[in-house]
Parts: sequence; structure tokens; C-alpha cells
Amino acid sequence: MSRTMLLASTKRGLFLLSSEDRKEWQIDRHTMQGKVVYNAALDPRTGRMFATDNNVFFGSKLLYSDDMGETWQEPARGIEFPEASGLALQNLWIIEPSEDEPGRVYVGVDPASLWVSDDNGENWSMNEGLQSHPTRERWNPGNGGLCLHSIVRDHSDKDRMWIGISAVGCMRTEDGGKTWTHANKNTRQDFGPELYPEYGQCIHRLVQHPDKPDVLYQQNHCGVYMSENGGDDWIDIRNNLPGDFGFPIALDRHHPETLYTVVVEPWGRHNYGDQFTVYRSQDAGGSWESLSDGLPNGTGVKLGVLRHGMWADTADPCGVYVGTNTGQIFASDDRGDSWQMIADFLPPVNAVRAVTLD
Amino acid sequence: MVRVHIPSQLLQRTGRRRVVDVEGGTIRSVIEALERDYPGLLFNICRETGDLRPFVNVFLEGEDVRYLAGLETTVSSGDTVHIFHSVAGGS
Repeated sequence: MSRTMLLASTKRGLFLLSSEDRKEWQIDRHTMQGKVVYNAALDPRTGRMFATDNNVFFGSKLLYSDDMGETWQEPARGIEFPEASGLALQNLWIIEPSEDEPGRVYVGVDPASLWVSDDNGENWSMNEGLQSHPTRERWNPGNGGLCLHSIVRDHSDKDRMWIGISAVGCMRTEDGGKTWTHANKNTRQDFGPELYPEYGQCIHRLVQHPDKPDVLYQQNHCGVYMSENGGDDWIDIRNNLPGDFGFPIALDRHHPETLYTVVVEPWGRHNYGDQFTVYRSQDAGGSWESLSDGLPNGTGVKLGVLRHGMWADTADPCGVYVGTNTGQIFASDDRGDSWQMIADFLPPVNAVRAVTLD
Repeated sequence: MVRVHIPSQLLQRTGRRRVVDVEGGTIRSVIEALERDYPGLLFNICRETGDLRPFVNVFLEGEDVRYLAGLETTVSSGDTVHIFHSVAGGS
């Protein structure tokens, strides 16, 4: 029987939850205690767990564990900018073990930079093409910093990859990371003099269709978008959503036209009204339905979800998980039709990521 | 030798030693000596750009080196250096 593990990265530590049936959940471990964890991942190829230790005092670093979070080590050569770059690492934002490149793991950081390891996270090197991009000096940070938060490697073309940087936008490489181009056509920037600039958009999260590699979806500061041509241009798929400001987006891998997002009031950064709601589209954003069965309702219900705070697992029907900035985790084992709270009283949740273990 | 007091958060670097002795003529060279003896401490104390981390405070004989000559502050054998993180607990 398979078991589902949920890695919940929080403002104070990493929580590991598990379930045999995705109905009964338990918290197995609170690890990285006291550390600010933006993101964590379990590499299914090696069983190695990675987590970001973002430390405003003594510097941020990547850690890994080979015993499911009981003990943690630093890489032999970690993520540190060369002095000549003039850059200093602020926070690590995203960890993406590659699905089909042996030993390869990607990490995105603030200031916007892509790091690569080819030995399961032991030694790290910086992607030079992004570092020397001709527009780099004009990149501006979002509220969370100049963070590279989304890494989407094309499963159909080893040389193609997309990244998301706030507030630069979507960027694409087609030569294995040697050069990068902006890919933001028709995505809005409501906070600058030009509504549709070449770059400067505040992308919040980016995912790829598992079967149609040219199809991408993004939740943006200013809209929800789909691209059907690998990011050449984008189509606004907000449609009947109550707003277009949100952070996360996820999809059902077995039904990839099924999308999930949480849109929030732009200034309050919490649910509209008194009902915490997850939104689902079953036609690639053509229309959206409100999912609220089992989600909290009431005058004081004001929940927000950060960009990595939503995940859809790989089962069919897929499980969907949402961690809030007030320390709850909600889970659905039926594609979002119904929900239950599986954890409460956690520190604010930065990220959730589910892994199915055999 | 210069006597350096290590903050509790960095004791894993020094094998749990709270006080270590290193050679050095300036605060910068003291930190470089710490890095030689206890790899990783340089990254913890200074950013990659070489400057002191914003929320790390280094005191020489009780004086914050930011109000002396910073990392170029001269130290003498027998001096005591304390490393602390600053109070930044609002988040």
C-alpha cells in the first residue's frame, strides 16, 4: 500500500505529515525547529530530503537529510555567490529535483539566480546565462525580494526550461540555460507605466501541462494565464474568478485541464468574504467553480495562501493540499470536492508538497 | 592570540566551543582565521560581498566595530572579540 507524505514548510520549522489513505493524517516529525523554511522537497530517486534554512542573521543555506529529517547536513559546496558577482544570498525559494536527469537538482534563490547540482545536491554551481542577462540591471524585486520561485524543466526537451521571477516575469531558455529570453507577452503589469511590458511582471507561480509541453499555466499578481505555445504569448483565463490576485496554482496530472488556485483580496491577502475557498477549473480556465465543502466559514475567517502553499499529488483521483498563512493545512482526497483540516496551530505555512511513497 | 566568543547559533561550527583563540591583526583577519579553523564561519559572519552581515554585531573589547574601523579595526594580542546577532525579532 502506498503512503502519502506531506512536507509542510513553515515560518518556524518543517513538519512531516503522513497518511495511509489520505483521510487519516498524523504529524510524524517537526524538524528544522526554529528555522525559517520556505521550501522542502523529497527526491524520490535517492530518498534525500532538501530544505531551505533562510536565516536573516547568519546567512541562508540549503540543507539535506538522508534520514527523513532526523539529522541535516550542509552540502560540500553550498550556494554562495562568487565575490566578483557583487551579490549576496538573501533567501532560497524553491527546490526542484529533476525527474529525469541523474543526480540533478535545481534551486532558485533571491537575488534571482538559478543554481544547479549534478551530484544530488552536494556541490552547487550558478547558472551564468541568467546572471549575465543583458536586462538584469533593470530587474526589480517584489515584496518578497527578487526571488526566483518557479523552475519548470520541459520534460519533452532537455534544453528547454522556464523560470518565474518576481517581479521580472517568466523567462525561457531553449539552449540548456546558456541564454534566456523574457516570455511575458499579454501578461499585465498593473503597477507600472506600461501595461504590457517585455518584462517586469510579477509572476507568482508557474506550472506545466504534463502531456502538452507547450501548455503552461501561471498565477500572476495581475491575472491567471495560460500559454499554448511555450510562453510565446499568454491568454487571460481569469474568467469568472472573483479576483485575479493570488499566489498558488496547481494541476491534476491525470486530468491536466483541471486547475486549482486560491485568489485573495489584493490588500488584505485573504479570502473574499467570510468563506475560505479553493477555486477549480475543469476546462483549463474556461470557467471556475468554488470549492468550499469542509473549508472554514465565518466572520473571522481571513486566510491567505502563499505561492508554494498549494500542491496536487500524483494519485487519481488527485489529492489537493493547501497550507495557510495562519497555520492550517486543508486536504482533499477527491479532487477538491470535499476538504478536511489535517493540521492546525502550525506556524504560518510557506509551502506544502506531497510525495507518494511505495 | 585573540580570544573570540562564539554565539550559540554557530557552536556547531566550533565543535561546541564557546570561546576560541585565533591569530589576527584586524577584525577581518580574525574572521579569516576563524574560517581556516572552522570552515563556514566566514559565510555566517560576512556576506559574499565581504561586508559584515547586517544583523551580526562584532564587539572588540566591548566596542561595536561598526563604530570603530569596521572590519579593518586593529586588534592586539590578548584582545577579546564577541560575536552576537542583533535584536531583530519582530518577524
